[in-house]
Amino acid sequence: MAGYIHVDHVKKIYDSGKDVVEAVSGVSFVANKGEFIAILGPSGCGKSTLLMMCGGLEPTSAGTITIDGQEVTGPRANIGVMFQDSTLLPWKTVLENILFPVKIQRRPLAAYRERALELIEMVGLHGFADMKPHQLSGGMRQRVAICRALVTNPDILLMDEPFSALDAMTRDEMNDALLDIWDRYPKTGLFVTHAIREAVYLADRVLVMTKRPATLVADIRIPFDRPRDPSINNRAEFNDTCDQLRRLIEHKRTPWSETKAA
Amino acid sequence: MTTGPAIRHKPSSETAYTLGLPIGLGVAVLIGWQLAVRLAGISPVILPAPSDIVQSFGGVGGELLRQGWVTGFEALFAFVLSCLFGVAAALFLGFSTVAFETFYPGLVVFQIIPKIALAPLFTFWLGIAATSRLSYALFISFFPVTLATMTGLKRADTNALRLCHALGASRLQAFVAVQIPYALPYFFSGAKVAATMSIIGIVIGEFISANAGLGYYILRAQSYSETAHMFAAILVLCGIGLLLYIIPVQAERWVRRWWWD
Repeated sequence: MAGYIHVDHVKKIYDSGKDVVEAVSGVSFVANKGEFIAILGPSGCGKSTLLMMCGGLEPTSAGTITIDGQEVTGPRANIGVMFQDSTLLPWKTVLENILFPVKIQRRPLAAYRERALELIEMVGLHGFADMKPHQLSGGMRQRVAICRALVTNPDILLMDEPFSALDAMTRDEMNDALLDIWDRYPKTGLFVTHAIREAVYLADRVLVMTKRPATLVADIRIPFDRPRDPSINNRAEFNDTCDQLRRLIEHKRTPWSETKAA
Repeated sequence: MTTGPAIRHKPSSETAYTLGLPIGLGVAVLIGWQLAVRLAGISPVILPAPSDIVQSFGGVGGELLRQGWVTGFEALFAFVLSCLFGVAAALFLGFSTVAFETFYPGLVVFQIIPKIALAPLFTFWLGIAATSRLSYALFISFFPVTLATMTGLKRADTNALRLCHALGASRLQAFVAVQIPYALPYFFSGAKVAATMSIIGIVIGEFISANAGLGYYILRAQSYSETAHMFAAILVLCGIGLLLYIIPVQAERWVRRWWWD
């Protein structure tokens, strides 16, 4: 069967008794193994909810998600996650934070220590293994979070706006770091973002989501080969793709959501 | 380089300032008190001068130390018990939602009772032995620990808990790995309250029924109108209170070092 992650007519409805909110209304897509897919949309369009459902962190209200032919019913050991916040434990060192999944999943610590140190080197945190999170900058903390997501070598990486809290320069650095990681350790990735250029720079495919209804309106293939470098930012194709995506989002945006987003 | 000494000088002058002001105030109050008592000719039975209080240490210093030892030891014991019991209750209520919903409203209602009114009941039920005083002190001081620790357990970073969930952690794993460490600083704020409450509990117990301890000593001195001795005993109580208070403060400092260094 073709495809690795199948999302099939998935809905998410929050029913508080008073209000019924349809956060995700009928989304379907297929991700192939090794593909990096960006889910692009305005804030509040349900893209994070969709990601959480793929990770088994939220149940679906309707529809099914399967990974490698198995239906997702809860968290899985072969998925790494990154959130907007680095979510490091402040009393643990960089190394201990990276090894946290190993400890929680009761894997042999000694076997993963080597890998953790290698990841620390790779993201450019040499010499920081024994530091505490408060001694690091925001970008460095998010690098630690990447290492933590990768330490158990998961097949899938779910990223929920991981760089949106960082300043523009740090964000560019992190994008390059993530591209490097993708070349070294190819994985299947779902990356939620509301930044158009980031989506185009990183992804093989961009899925465009809108709110009301919270559904997919486009599935755009990004025509750049890997490895990628910052020079593609200046290519005409890059800007054309960005424009195309911007029009898709703006076209679908209702005046109400525009005032809300401002 | 010329600014170097000025920068280094600043903190020490600030320390002198922040230390000097309250100490200066204390000295001024003592001098004012001494002068007021002497000049107005107030009877030492009503209000002894600071010098009278200091003098009384000469006569009854040994006795005060003996009685202070009894009170201090019982207060320390009550403090340790209330920390243990308070944390155990918080862990139980924090981990089990059913337990929380069953016990917590009752606990809160119980806290509304002016607990001092219940002190005679403890003597009635448990007699005049140390057990009754310890139980009473434990009774009034464990709740601040429970409340503070429980608040901490609930304030744990929700993202960290989501991460645990994503990693497939069990409820117990997340509780131990994330919630308990996050609750530690909160526990200490509860423990500081418990340190002062436990000594209050013991002294009240001694007021009601005891044949030793500073509470008992204060009442006996009162019956002989030895006001200076009462003040001296209160001073010793202050010292004990301070020593007890230092325990959670110091422990918190260690934990902070573990968190941040």
